[in-house]
Amino acid sequence: MYFFVYFLMSGIFLGAIYAIISLGIVIIYKSTKVFNFAQGHLLMVAALLGASLTQRFGLIGGFVLTVVGISVVGLLLERLTLRPLIGQPLIAALLMTIALGYLLEGGALILWGEGLYKYPALFPSTPFTISSITVSQEVAWAFVVVAVSFGVFVLFYQRTLLGKAMRATAEDHEVSQSMGIRVTNIFSVSWLIAALLAFVSSVFLGSLSGAHYLNSHLGLKAIPAVLVGGLDSIVGAIIGGMIVGLLESLVTGYLSAELGEVVPFIVLLVVLLVKPYGLFGLVRIERI
Amino acid sequence: MATRPAGVYDVRYEQDIAVIRTIPQWITLGLFLVFLCLLPQLPFSSRYLLNVVNIILIMIIAIHGLNILTGFAGLISVGHSAFMGVGAYACASFMLWFDLSIWIALPLSGLTAGLVGILFGLPSLRLKGFYLAMATIAAQFIIRSFFFHFKPEIFGGSTGMSLKPVSTFGFVFDTQEKIYYLVMPITVIMTYFAVNLIRSRMGRAFVAIRDNDLSAEIMGISLFSYKLRAFFVSCFFAGIAGCLYIVFMRTIRPDQYTLMDSIWMLGILIIGGLGSVLGGILGTIFVKVLDEVVLVLTPFLGGILPSEYASRISASLGLVVFGLVVVLFLILEPRGLAHRWEILKNRFRHWPFTYG
Repeated sequence: MYFFVYFLMSGIFLGAIYAIISLGIVIIYKSTKVFNFAQGHLLMVAALLGASLTQRFGLIGGFVLTVVGISVVGLLLERLTLRPLIGQPLIAALLMTIALGYLLEGGALILWGEGLYKYPALFPSTPFTISSITVSQEVAWAFVVVAVSFGVFVLFYQRTLLGKAMRATAEDHEVSQSMGIRVTNIFSVSWLIAALLAFVSSVFLGSLSGAHYLNSHLGLKAIPAVLVGGLDSIVGAIIGGMIVGLLESLVTGYLSAELGEVVPFIVLLVVLLVKPYGLFGLVRIERI
Repeated sequence: MATRPAGVYDVRYEQDIAVIRTIPQWITLGLFLVFLCLLPQLPFSSRYLLNVVNIILIMIIAIHGLNILTGFAGLISVGHSAFMGVGAYACASFMLWFDLSIWIALPLSGLTAGLVGILFGLPSLRLKGFYLAMATIAAQFIIRSFFFHFKPEIFGGSTGMSLKPVSTFGFVFDTQEKIYYLVMPITVIMTYFAVNLIRSRMGRAFVAIRDNDLSAEIMGISLFSYKLRAFFVSCFFAGIAGCLYIVFMRTIRPDQYTLMDSIWMLGILIIGGLGSVLGGILGTIFVKVLDEVVLVLTPFLGGILPSEYASRISASLGLVVFGLVVVLFLILEPRGLAHRWEILKNRFRHWPFTYG
């Protein structure tokens, strides 16, 4: 029982991180139809920026600068590299974000090196107990953040003008443009939100394991999470992230670590075969 | 649209479908083949050069396969190096455990890789575009962990397998020169095969599927069989390349064929030009030469920069260069080197006029 709870908790925590990464990928995909492979790399840059800037400028100043920095990175990536690709085939955008990921990884390696950077301790280390189950503060916070961000995004997409414009853009670029929505601005906003989400996930990841240039590989794990949930579904991103995190943690705990790495992809293959658009994805009818 | 050489008209069907149209083109092709045959004998060729040339030739075969699948049939595969690994493992097993000669193991490993490719191509019937790419990423991880964990007494687990130098009829392929004479003819044959395949009924069906698969189905192309055929042919090429690669390397480990390699292959296609056999060849040469340049450049940069950065450069230069090259090609020339080559040819054909 103890082990089960332990792996369950670490699974929820991992799942929360995956869910936030997936949320960033989904938000970019919804409006730009680009799958952002570099989301994990954005997270890595945010973690490294956060670790080194908080050391220099203190907790508050460092985080403010990190948010500004990662937003600028996200906006620049969209403006300089992905905007010229509008209208190109799918594989162009696919390879572009992968190549951007490599660029970010290589750049981070040159700037920060291979060292592990200590992240400021944000969460108190004393766990609290709910009816004999100990829950560490990080897990609780991660859970709360995922729940809150889910609520915020649902409200944002349903209620605000910008959210409605983003949904319209997701539906059809040309029609939204002719209705007076600046589609390119929507693209920028999506990347901005994704960059902010990368920052949020970097806070949790940083407090879990510190900042390291290989953090970016978590983005690879978010791929099955996004696809299991459905590429254009916010609910799907969160549930998919949780499924993948829990599965990985439990399989790693009970069977083997190597299998834990592969299980998300096996689940992905099975889900894609049964429901090609993911669990919550929108099924599109194709016309010629 | 490519323009024809001036004064060359198609008056018969054979001329219309010909690949090589004029006598100068025949002569150039002949000279090029002679050059390929004599390459190891030329004064400037060294062991190092032949080593690079062999890798390029083997990669060209694999790239032809990926080009047929991704460039012509439009099915994006991000697991191509895993299929190359399947070919290599199959070849090693056939030669090690069944004592088959290379001439039998070669086609058999191609077939094995092709069949595994069909298995992982099955999702392509329901999945499209991006989702299919992700299913093939899954293939990459599953194949890798299969060779890690399944029957270590056969596949050697994490240490992998190693072979003695391959020999046939008492002839041992132990030097780069001898391996060159094994690899080069096979590459030429596979290139010939790839060029002709895409002019055939099957190749035209692939292009139709790429352009719009629903329209293709309505026009009577069975998506089920042609998509699987695309996977089979593509992975057959990958298997042949993998088999030659193990003759070249003589060892194989499960972590040799990574996701990074698969992505490199897609990058090569973009750099060379999607949907062009020539593009695949140009892209491979470009990237492999770039690889060598990076290898030379790393110690050089390490010498200039402060020692703290030197070690970081050596680890990251490859990543940065690859990322940068792909990003620049996608923005500036998304149709790749093959398109540039066409433009260049047309310039000469229209000279001194600028249109065309």
